[in-house]
Amino acid sequence: MLEAIKLTKRYGNFTALNSLNLSVNQGDIFCLLGANGAGKSTTINLFLNFISPTEGTAKINSIDVTKGPEETKKLLSYIPENLKLYPNLTGLENLDFFCGLGGKKYSTNHLTELLTESGLQPDFIQKRVSSYSKGMRQKVGIALARAREASVLLLDEPTSGLDPKASNEFSSLLLEMKERGVATLMATHDLFRAKDTGTHIGIMKEGILVEQFASDDVSFRDLESLYLKHMHN
Amino acid sequence: MSPLVLVAKKEIKVAIRERIVVALGVIITLLLAISVYAGFLSYQQQKSVIEKTQAEKREEWLNQGDKHPHIAAHFGTFIFKPKTAISLFDFGLDAFTGTSIYLEAHHQHEFMFRPAQDHSTMIRFGELSAALVLKILVPLLIIFLAFGCFTRERESGTFSLLLSQGVSMRSLVWGKILAFSLMLSCILLPFFLCTILLTAGGDSSNILHDLHIRTMLLIVSYGAYLFLFIAFAVWTSLHAASGRNALLTLLSVWIVLTILMPKVVANVSENLYVLPSMRAFKADIEHDKAHGLDGASPRSARIARLEAELLKEYQVDSVEELPFNFEGVMMQAGEEYSHQVYDHHFGKIKETFSRQNRLSSIASLINPYMSIQNLSMAFSGTDIYSFIHFEEVVESYRREMIRKMNNDMAENSKYGEFYEYAAGSELWHELRDFSYRSPSIWSILKNYTLEIIGLIAWLVLSLILLFQSGRTTKPLYD
Repeated sequence: MLEAIKLTKRYGNFTALNSLNLSVNQGDIFCLLGANGAGKSTTINLFLNFISPTEGTAKINSIDVTKGPEETKKLLSYIPENLKLYPNLTGLENLDFFCGLGGKKYSTNHLTELLTESGLQPDFIQKRVSSYSKGMRQKVGIALARAREASVLLLDEPTSGLDPKASNEFSSLLLEMKERGVATLMATHDLFRAKDTGTHIGIMKEGILVEQFASDDVSFRDLESLYLKHMHN
Repeated sequence: MSPLVLVAKKEIKVAIRERIVVALGVIITLLLAISVYAGFLSYQQQKSVIEKTQAEKREEWLNQGDKHPHIAAHFGTFIFKPKTAISLFDFGLDAFTGTSIYLEAHHQHEFMFRPAQDHSTMIRFGELSAALVLKILVPLLIIFLAFGCFTRERESGTFSLLLSQGVSMRSLVWGKILAFSLMLSCILLPFFLCTILLTAGGDSSNILHDLHIRTMLLIVSYGAYLFLFIAFAVWTSLHAASGRNALLTLLSVWIVLTILMPKVVANVSENLYVLPSMRAFKADIEHDKAHGLDGASPRSARIARLEAELLKEYQVDSVEELPFNFEGVMMQAGEEYSHQVYDHHFGKIKETFSRQNRLSSIASLINPYMSIQNLSMAFSGTDIYSFIHFEEVVESYRREMIRKMNNDMAENSKYGEFYEYAAGSELWHELRDFSYRSPSIWSILKNYTLEIIGLIAWLVLSLILLFQSGRTTKPLYD
């Protein structure tokens, strides 16, 4: 579903991503670990076509994202680290609007259900987003991901700053998506979450994917050691 | 629902919830309402005064009693520039061109009672008219409405979520344009309906040709002008690095287009094509009337030549023997020579006006504000060419009046019989009552080809820019 072929991004002399080869299949949750500036967000942004590659190709469902930007985006759902919504619209209105843009039209009852199932307190559904916490906004993002019925999920440090309960709810979403055959690529700093929910883990350093393995092949302790080894070298 | 409509709906909802938009809309509506109401009161008052006074002057002419036709020619009459309902939309040059004129023998007077003379210099910056609000203040409202339409999405982080939904840039751009166009239409619709009702309900159709076409053209051209501002504001917001940059760029362009450039062009044209002072203008006319246009045909010589020609033609020895009153023919010949002098000097003035306007027309190719300024006056019948047409019709009426008096004098009185002969009511009735009908709007528009081309060219350019911007979903951070 998701494929990076020698994907490279340079800014002048600085190489943000160096010849990345990656493939995420249906039902896979690929967690990208790495320090700040390792190239995780660059990878996500390249798949979103928010930046154009210097070399190589990013494909979603075998379609080059630079050649079919709108087509490929119809297949995906994206939750950034800090999901921003329209503060003067309610959570329900935001969800309705973004669903509509993706070509999905749901009844108010169904949208309310989606928000509730995603963990948003019912009394906040009709309140303006300006009164929401970061966690609440992320929950609207989760509801949106559910509503869009996307086959690809791109997550850029989605649990950063969330409380443990919200992070746990988020993991539930990922597992639910996995069951539905969604291919997920998640950039994260959270080793525990990567080991717990990911099917595959990659470690990035200075724009290079230095390690790539199935999460079942390593214990949490081994993962931590491996991660720290790469970070210190 | 298409993404374009969804984006438009969202923009409108957000704009309404941000009270500032509602407040600005209310201010613009109030200003338009005040300008229309004040304009309508002024129109009604002026129209009533003009019609009443014009009727009084006609009565005075008809009931002036028995007197010599030449005395009647100096008794003269007044003509008042009729006020039309559509002129309350754009006062144009009405404040500077004068409202009435005294018609008498020998002299082509200038129009009197120019409102600009009775007001402070602030009138030169424009009276509060609907046109002023639409030309200058509504674009400002558009700028405040639209400058942040893309920069705010980018700065607040919603742009990435928006683009990740697979919505095309074209839908985003045109959705926002649709939203601002609809919001503006809601603010301006009551005003435009009011204008249609006022102009349709007024009795200006006997004065102005194509009244309904003029009204429609006004609405269409202002619609195009305001759309340009919407398109430019959205385009700027799309390409600006920040909301602050977008606002500064748009405000700078607004100042240049609506304030600086029109003043600079006016000053340059006045300095390039200089008009003579009123004193010098009148002195030149009097000189040419006395000494001839060539400077070598004084009045006495022209009279002597006419006398000789007539004596020869009728084969008589003295003017007393002519079968008509030579004084009447001489008066008319003098009038006709003065027509040549006036036409020569007024022609030069009109040529200078025309050159000054030409510069303004050329400038309108790069400034849509100047296009709409000139077109708005033309559609409202308050532009220089409409005034010149009225002035020519009035002068033609004056010449007809004097010719009738001189012909009557020549045909019905004897030479030297100035105090004995008196014409009466029958002659005064021979002079038709003055009536005016403007030229068709199409003939006036011939003078504004560059303005029309300018406005259309800007529209086409803005559409090309918007289509170009919306053609591809550009990367967000490159």
